[in-house]
Amino acid sequence: MKKVLIALVGLLTLTLAACSQTSTSATTLVTYDGSKNITVYTRDTTSGTRTGFMEGIGFAEAATSDSVLVTGFLIKDNTAILNALSIDEYGVGYVSLSSVNSTVKGLHFNGVAPTEANVINDTYGLKRPFMWMIRPAGDYPSTTVEQIVQAFIAFLATSDGGDIINNAGAIPLPSTQTWDQVKGNHAVCNQNNSGVVLRIGGSDSIQKVAEALTKAFTPKCGNFSAEHDHTGSSDAYKRTNDPAIKDTSVGKDIGFSSRFFRGAELTVAASIRGQLAWDAIVAIVHLNNPVSNVTADDLKNMYNGTYRTWNALINR
Amino acid sequence: MEELLKWKEQMRSTKKNRITDKITQHIFLGTALLSASFIFIVVGIIFVQGIRPFVTDNQGLGSVNLWSFLTGDVWLIGATFASNLYSVGFIIVSTLFIALLSLLVSFPIGVLTALFIAKVAPKPLAKILRTVIETLAAIPSIVYGLFGAGIILQVVYDVSALFGYQSKGGNSIISVVLVLALMTIPTITAISEVAIRSVDKTIEHGSLALGASNTQTNFKVVLASAKSGIFTAAILGIGRTLGEATAVSLVAGGRRAGISFDIFDTTSTLTTIMLEGLKETTGLDYDIRFSVGLVLMAVILLTNLLLNSVKKRVGSVHVR
Repeated sequence: MKKVLIALVGLLTLTLAACSQTSTSATTLVTYDGSKNITVYTRDTTSGTRTGFMEGIGFAEAATSDSVLVTGFLIKDNTAILNALSIDEYGVGYVSLSSVNSTVKGLHFNGVAPTEANVINDTYGLKRPFMWMIRPAGDYPSTTVEQIVQAFIAFLATSDGGDIINNAGAIPLPSTQTWDQVKGNHAVCNQNNSGVVLRIGGSDSIQKVAEALTKAFTPKCGNFSAEHDHTGSSDAYKRTNDPAIKDTSVGKDIGFSSRFFRGAELTVAASIRGQLAWDAIVAIVHLNNPVSNVTADDLKNMYNGTYRTWNALINR
Repeated sequence: MEELLKWKEQMRSTKKNRITDKITQHIFLGTALLSASFIFIVVGIIFVQGIRPFVTDNQGLGSVNLWSFLTGDVWLIGATFASNLYSVGFIIVSTLFIALLSLLVSFPIGVLTALFIAKVAPKPLAKILRTVIETLAAIPSIVYGLFGAGIILQVVYDVSALFGYQSKGGNSIISVVLVLALMTIPTITAISEVAIRSVDKTIEHGSLALGASNTQTNFKVVLASAKSGIFTAAILGIGRTLGEATAVSLVAGGRRAGISFDIFDTTSTLTTIMLEGLKETTGLDYDIRFSVGLVLMAVILLTNLLLNSVKKRVGSVHVR
């Protein structure tokens, strides 16, 4: 009995030791070999981040098509790309600016560093829009809800709303008005709205921003409550304006999208949709990678297979 | 007179019992019908949704060709939302390949562990191991997925680098197989162990009395007698590997074209292709995932039928 236990423990330690040895030796001893193939990581074709990235690097056809990408690319979600680029020394991927951390290297785009400051001063070019869409006039659970939604949309365009968007990691559109200047147009905010619920949904990339916005706006508008249920950019339209879905239990009063509206979504009247902010996307590589600046063309060439090895960028 | 009264009383109570029996029978029938109808509703809805891409014109995109859907080797030719050229042929092959490989890893380990727990290990150790196995079997698959993404990817990447092979961040068939093997070993062990323990003691004693050693008895008599139960374990194990989505999608790499049997290359399974982008997509790109679901159900059904027929041929207790 004891012997067996000792043997088991011994085996376990050996395995663990072997594991830790392999993982440290490979990362510290290997020098960077630019002749290795570039591993290309991407989000899937339905991702708003992918659309933003591909349009940003001038490779718009790759936003919805996998056929134009280099063969052997990998499809992963936001977190998985971050995780993969902390392992894969020869990989390239992209994530939204707010998720970049110290385990990967964010590449400069056209010589501009991927920082919030550079997004706000509009020098960093790789970004995507944050859009909103509301229900058609008169198509709300109550007029109070409709009026609060109108007030909320007005709030998005004020500098007060802009500050909230800024704090949540995105860049608001320029604004000259404050909420105090426009709140006179929204009498609904002077009454007690504590029993009123606004249903908010759409892109999950915008959830953080949207939650910050409703949290800040609630006390300014009679303490209404907001119910956030973010499921994806396509639901911004589907759950507010698609006749088949908008009146079901998942119907929403406000929907957000992290890409420009397209197709059937554009049939919605221009007065009930608009843009509230920009979000920046960053191309990322492994920390050991010597490359630190890329152009839109570099990224396009990596994603369409013109550049197969890192030497194409290192030996320029 | 007294006896007559007693008899009447008895008759009344039997009648009462009969009525209670009837009522309970009907309640049971009701619940059985309810659960059975759920299965029909679920399968029915998936079926109706799943055949839609093949019979409607998909809002102007044209219907999907069933033959090329089942045999092609590119998931989607052309742009999403603008093309109907979907196919899962290569994914069916890789799904079966992965299930087979992971069973090759998990089956021997699981069965030998079960044999150890049931026959070889001293009682207290067996008790501990049994608890450990039961705990492992109860761990949700996403936890195995996170372990895969955090540890297995790194190990596979480093090991392949040691051999001078550049793997794609460890995302590969081998990582998927390892994650699935980890997940299925507890299932296979738990069920095989029950099967091994329920082998008739007299058979075992007979073997020992004839002069066979413990090891000979364990392998040639115990395992052979328990083979029906062990086969059931394998069937359930393969069911788990075919149906797992979340954990696999974290380490598979999302391959979109071409069959690859290179264990260091990326891959996709029917479940990962359904899962990736499901929350964000619309139209045909959404409906086609139900069709993949139908294909998956067909694959699981056929695999189970095949394995069950093999199991019948193998038979139950039949010692040579």
